Amino acid sequence: MKPVGGIEKKQSWIWKGGFFLASRMFLGGIFIYASLDKIFKPGLFAEAVYNYQILPDILINLTALVLPWLELVLGLMLVAGVWLPGAVMLSILLLLIFSGSLIFNMVRGININCGCFSTEPSTDPITWWTVMRDSTFLIPAFYLLFANRTEKTAGE
Amino acid sequence: MMEPLRLIHKWRRALWQIPAIIMVAGALALSSNNLRKESLPLVGDWSAVESLTTVSGDRLDISIEDASRLFRDRAVVFIDARSAADYERGHIQGALNLPWQDVDSLFLQATAGLLPGTPIITYCDGETCSLSHDLAVFLRDMGFENVRVLVNGWTVWQDADLPVDSLAEGAST
Repeated sequence: MKPVGGIEKKQSWIWKGGFFLASRMFLGGIFIYASLDKIFKPGLFAEAVYNYQILPDILINLTALVLPWLELVLGLMLVAGVWLPGAVMLSILLLLIFSGSLIFNMVRGININCGCFSTEPSTDPITWWTVMRDSTFLIPAFYLLFANRTEKTAGE
Repeated sequence: MMEPLRLIHKWRRALWQIPAIIMVAGALALSSNNLRKESLPLVGDWSAVESLTTVSGDRLDISIEDASRLFRDRAVVFIDARSAADYERGHIQGALNLPWQDVDSLFLQATAGLLPGTPIITYCDGETCSLSHDLAVFLRDMGFENVRVLVNGWTVWQDADLPVDSLAEGAST
């Protein structure tokens, strides 16, 4: 290997590492932040889930209880770099489900509260802007899925 | 770029990691819910709420706190959907009476002084009483834009020790 090529490779390695770390922290932070209010107010979050009018009644409370913890665990794993392939894929799956549910209700014309970051009704009505915001989070998620850095982090 | 084979090898690990993450979250959720003072039942009864959600996703019901605040501010008209006899025995102070079974004949008379934008709260008695809900939907169809339902209204109003009127002799107010 030529020395010049080696230095370039090292620099690009550091750059990529920076992006990788930033994506992990950003996505993990978003998930952790989104989980907290819902964990403390499961009753209100259940109402938000109910208002989406997608799940059968029997699954609403269970979803309202488990989903926020799933977001918290995913967020912590992304930040800590533990079980990354699973955490990243599950994040993508969740984000697709969230965006899909938003789009579904936008198209149906159902006028509900997002319940994305806060359980407080009327703080966050769903709009195409909400859909765009949630879909944007897919960018770092897909970057993490295809990036070449997983092995360099803790827990692997 | 990582060679495709190594990427696939990495992704394979997600196959056991995803169920494991879900199980960890589920265990945390259920145990924290058990520790909570007011734990959420794992399967909720949403049938009552269902009847109170309009097709456009608006909620019809109003909490007793909001209802009593509007009452104090004199910002709302209460309409009792029960029979005249029940109404006479006791009703929310100042409430009008529009018995659901006589709504066709009494509607115009009962709502004579109300404007389309007047905030209205309908109520009846009992968690499963549907009169107030039927009346609220009817009033909305008739052009009243701001109609809400106080579920189990007569009972929760009395439980909250809020002012009542009674037309029957000897009844307490």
